[in-house]
Amino acid sequence: MIPILLYLLATIDAACCGYRDAAARSALIRKDAYYRRALFRGAIFGQGAIAAAGLLILAFIMFSSDPALLIHDLNEAGRRMLLVYLPYAIIVVVALSLRLIPSVDLRSITSMLIFGPFILIRPFIAVAGVAWAMIAVPRLEIILLGLLVLLLMLSLEPFLGWIRVSRAGSPQP
Amino acid sequence: MRLSKLPADVPEISDAIVSFDPETLARRAVVKQTLVREFLSLGDRRAARIVEAIPERDGVLDADAVDRILITSHCEMQRISEEFQHGQRVLELLHPLLITLREASVFKRPLRIVDIGCGTGYVIRWLAANAALGKDVELIGADYNVALVEEARRLANVEGLSCSFRVANAFQLAEPASVYLSTGILHHFRGDALTQFFRQHEEPATSAYLHFDFQPTRVAPFGSWLFHTVRMRQPLAKHDGVLSAVRAHSGQTLLRAAQAGAPGFLSTIYGARFWHLPLPRVFHTLIGIRKRYSDSFRQILGSRAARLGAFQNDSHPALSAGDD
Repeated sequence: MIPILLYLLATIDAACCGYRDAAARSALIRKDAYYRRALFRGAIFGQGAIAAAGLLILAFIMFSSDPALLIHDLNEAGRRMLLVYLPYAIIVVVALSLRLIPSVDLRSITSMLIFGPFILIRPFIAVAGVAWAMIAVPRLEIILLGLLVLLLMLSLEPFLGWIRVSRAGSPQP
Repeated sequence: MRLSKLPADVPEISDAIVSFDPETLARRAVVKQTLVREFLSLGDRRAARIVEAIPERDGVLDADAVDRILITSHCEMQRISEEFQHGQRVLELLHPLLITLREASVFKRPLRIVDIGCGTGYVIRWLAANAALGKDVELIGADYNVALVEEARRLANVEGLSCSFRVANAFQLAEPASVYLSTGILHHFRGDALTQFFRQHEEPATSAYLHFDFQPTRVAPFGSWLFHTVRMRQPLAKHDGVLSAVRAHSGQTLLRAAQAGAPGFLSTIYGARFWHLPLPRVFHTLIGIRKRYSDSFRQILGSRAARLGAFQNDSHPALSAGDD
């Protein structure tokens, strides 16, 4: 259950990275399809990041002298990460759900009070989750894996932006 | 000096890096080092650095580079309008206003809505795309900046929108507006220039105006910093976004200027606060309407009329900002 939840959170976070990267780059009015593509693009690139972390886990397990203990420790680290990331994700999802209500005021309030501050603290939340996992299970594999996960989480959005900007002949829609 | 600590009369970079002859609208050269020194003397070192980074030709800011920066910044700033549902916010007032004007049988067609300083034309394009205002409504955006107007036209064309954009002074169009709109424009006018701005509304053909701008509150500069820091990429957009909140006029200032400049309209502030909470809205709206339409407008506005302050003019000088 823990790996599945982490996978889902990572995919949602990656999709949101795609959205944020696409935001404020197109001045068109009708942009639903544009944002859908951006979410999908983020989620797809996120699979690459998840695969990289997965491969490292696989390598650690394969070369571990005690794979069962390592899997147990990985689960414990994952549980700790979920304790940090899940409340954050739940608040964001609730705020997104509120935006489905066709109220200009409600949507403005979610922008002001939730999305702005939560985008700002996202890097700190990412660090907090990984750090807490490392503290709970202070072994080399967890530390290396945590650092990789952190690097992937924090670099995905700039990476998406870099790809977009570096694409030659990609005019502003 | 931090942006939030700067005096309100420090100009925004987007105002300072372009200059137009008010009569001919011809673009005037902006000498880079003069502008850098001006920002430094005002204590805005960040603005000076941003201007310093803009390419120049023979000491003059490169107009093409400036236009590219402005177009990108407008695109980024459009995100504020999108997140805060600005199109819907405009429509919420414009729709009852148009019903009011249509019900007045004396009203000439078409109903011409002109967006002053439209930039890349977000509001006009949003209305054209979503509002279904009716075939008797003409949507026009006006701006001095050729590059911004061309971008507005290009975007409207891409989406096949029924609206037009003019490189023009919005108050000097061949056919005057029935309704003037603006978004984030009022705080660019300071002192007498603000009163003069309203004076230009006093055309007989003009029945109303709706001016949306940031609402100055204690938390506005921080809120604006937060919004722009996490969402904008252009240094100019980040800088001007925060400064706009610092420079925004209070409801009272706007009402005084509106009453002094355009006494032929009743004016009021709409939607200063969320519901009955002490939570200020990011934007407030200055509404001006000819007296003969005001009662009907209030009636058609329905439950939203609770967000209106009292309509005022010179004969009713009591000032109050509207809320829920």
